[in-house]
Amino acid sequence: MTGAPRPVPRSVRRSLRRAVRRVQWALRRVVRAWRTSMQLRVTSTAIGFGLLAVMVLSTYLSGAIRDGLFEQRITQVLTESARSTSQAQTTFNTTTATTTTGVQQLVNDLVRLLQGGGSSGREIFLWRTDPDSASSVLNSSTAPQLSGLVTDDLRAQTAQGEEQRWQSVSIPDSSGTGTIPGVLVGSKVDVPVAGSYELYFLYSLEAEQETLSFMQRVLAIAGAALVIFLACSTWVVTRQVVRPVQRAAQVAERLADGHLDERLLAKGEDEIATLARSFNEMAESLQDQIQRLDDLSTLQRRFVSDVSHELRTPLTTVRMASELIYESRDELDPVLKRSAELLQAQLDRFEDLLADLLEISRFDAGAAVLDAEALDLRDVVNAAIDHATPLASRKDVWVAAYFDERPVTADIDRRRVERVVRNLLVNAIEYAESGPVEVRVSSNLTAVAVHVRDYGVGMPKDQVSHVFDRFWRADPARARTSGGTGLGLAISLEDALLHGGWLEAWARPGLGAAFRLTLPRRAGIVLTSSPIELEAGQAPEDRESDPETHTRRSDEAGPASLPDIAHLPGHDDHEPDGDEGAGPGAVGPVHELGGPR
Amino acid sequence: MKSRVLVVDDDTALAEMIGLVLKTEGFDPVFCADGDAAIGVFRSTSPDLVLLDLMLPGKDGTEVCRQIRAESGVPVIMLTAKSDTLDVVQGLESGADDYISKPFKPKELVARIRARLRRTDEPAPERLTIGDLEIDVTGHRVTRGGTAISLTPLEFDLLVALARKPWQVFSREVLLEKVWGYRHAADTRLVNVHVQRLRSKIEHDPEIPEIVLTVRGVGYKAGATAT
Repeated sequence: MTGAPRPVPRSVRRSLRRAVRRVQWALRRVVRAWRTSMQLRVTSTAIGFGLLAVMVLSTYLSGAIRDGLFEQRITQVLTESARSTSQAQTTFNTTTATTTTGVQQLVNDLVRLLQGGGSSGREIFLWRTDPDSASSVLNSSTAPQLSGLVTDDLRAQTAQGEEQRWQSVSIPDSSGTGTIPGVLVGSKVDVPVAGSYELYFLYSLEAEQETLSFMQRVLAIAGAALVIFLACSTWVVTRQVVRPVQRAAQVAERLADGHLDERLLAKGEDEIATLARSFNEMAESLQDQIQRLDDLSTLQRRFVSDVSHELRTPLTTVRMASELIYESRDELDPVLKRSAELLQAQLDRFEDLLADLLEISRFDAGAAVLDAEALDLRDVVNAAIDHATPLASRKDVWVAAYFDERPVTADIDRRRVERVVRNLLVNAIEYAESGPVEVRVSSNLTAVAVHVRDYGVGMPKDQVSHVFDRFWRADPARARTSGGTGLGLAISLEDALLHGGWLEAWARPGLGAAFRLTLPRRAGIVLTSSPIELEAGQAPEDRESDPETHTRRSDEAGPASLPDIAHLPGHDDHEPDGDEGAGPGAVGPVHELGGPR
Repeated sequence: MKSRVLVVDDDTALAEMIGLVLKTEGFDPVFCADGDAAIGVFRSTSPDLVLLDLMLPGKDGTEVCRQIRAESGVPVIMLTAKSDTLDVVQGLESGADDYISKPFKPKELVARIRARLRRTDEPAPERLTIGDLEIDVTGHRVTRGGTAISLTPLEFDLLVALARKPWQVFSREVLLEKVWGYRHAADTRLVNVHVQRLRSKIEHDPEIPEIVLTVRGVGYKAGATAT
């Protein structure tokens, strides 16, 4: 082995990382559970406090028991050893032995006698006080291997005084690995012939130790049982409270999801039952409210639909009559002729309004059905542009179209999408103030989009949010020439939503307005972005500061030279020289229509 | 000879107005205001075409149409105030050839009536085959292995249009123009419903069509001719 640190093998590092991650994950889970579960929190708090109480209590108890046991034993030991000492002294005093051998014999006998005399086994040490004494009577003990327990300190104290001295010691047990507590009691005796001796009694406290251990074990078991019991009872109690709350939360969630029949089980008289009953009352009244509103709106929708339908039959008769009169208007005098023309024109408008009302009522009733097929959005937009061309030339508005060269296919409802684009175009032309109107079509992986931009009057920011409101007019003072119904954008928005798409508006006073329709390529795709910027087009400042330049540029170089084509998404492969042969409807880069410029 | 048109509508003002328009256009209108009486009037007047309101007192338009279809292939045009998909499809499925939703213009009505009546006056000797079907265009008969299959004139026209150019895929719009005789902006449902009706009569298994095939995203075409 070299001393240099070896690089940790990759596999070890990997498993280390994995372990760390696992620990983090587990930690997060614990933290989460702690945060989200009141039951867990209450129970663990209860366990914590329970543990603490049990620990304090058992520490105190075990200390008290230990002290009591010890005191008791010491008293007993001291009494016993005092008796034995006086008995030994008496024996020495009354002995008849005068020889060293005799005394030695007496000492040995006495030590053996004393060992068996106590309440329990004890070891005896009889040691000469003065080691330098010339006496030939030898020290005697029943356990010479334990003689090391008698400290010099104790010996000195014992030798000095008349009373007993005692000291706690640790006796190595028979196996030699552990120790058992013991008490060493020393006192002075006078041995005839030999002189002053110290008599030591070594008492084992093994029995007391066992008693104490047993008590501690009992305490520990009782404490553990108490904590477990506490945890269980807290769990059960909090469960009783938390369960109804959880149930109430679930039911509230179900209610919020529209399952208005959901109710709580209200049993008994307690607070929880009261909560359940109040909750149910609340749900009941909510259900009633919603039901009433629902009925009302169904009724209203039905009414709108019925009225529209009922109007149609008489309207048909009026329409046909008006048509007949209109056909022969040349035979009428001028007043009647003009009346016939007005009648005819307003009937058209009336019919449009009725049709739009019906369409809206169909959306409101949820009866609108998407009739989607795979189509190229450019074709649909072209058709809408064709439709809007007469109005554009009448209003002297230039309509420029910038289409992706690649097919822009999506599953769309032709009728609806064409209607939306037509609507946006007509609006743009209406408010373009003879400025240009730009139409862009592009796509990305998930979505297709049409963008209609005008550089006309625009409108204040706060009004933009209202453009999709029913019967809302940007400016009540401004007359509309094409006689829209006021429902066009509302219907367009519904059409976009029916596709799962977006219809958004942007506008600024004097800078014009932009509308963007974004549709998912297939049903089920959730839109996250649109292929075209909502404010796509030239920087509005350019236009405002120098509208003349722009007009000339479009005029002379043609829209193909407009610089902003390049940064449109999907135009990377666009050829800037345009396609001269591309007429309206062709898949050319530019599709231009409109006013004589 | 004037074509006779039966107008079944409970709204007398509208019926009278339609009558006025039809008369000025040279038709011979007859009227019925009740669904229950409609089939009786139909039998007694034997019209060349029926204009049928969907909502009628007594039997409703769908039921009347079914009765007429049961005994005649006379063109039926539905008049409906409800242009919701379901109503229109139900009307067409009960056998109507075409529908026109209120409010309509007189010209539109007349154009549709003429389109439905026109096909009777263009005879040209012609025999076609499509799949295992034999079509006798002149005799207005479709046979499979010598057994005649009964088709309404409209279904017959639809089949003939497809069979005349078996290599061509017809979009719904083109079929509307060729078979119904006008370019109706929105309603390609007409084609869908009549293709279903046609298939239920001529296909061995309408679920797996072999004669009138759907070309997804485009339209319909004739199936391969049996060799």
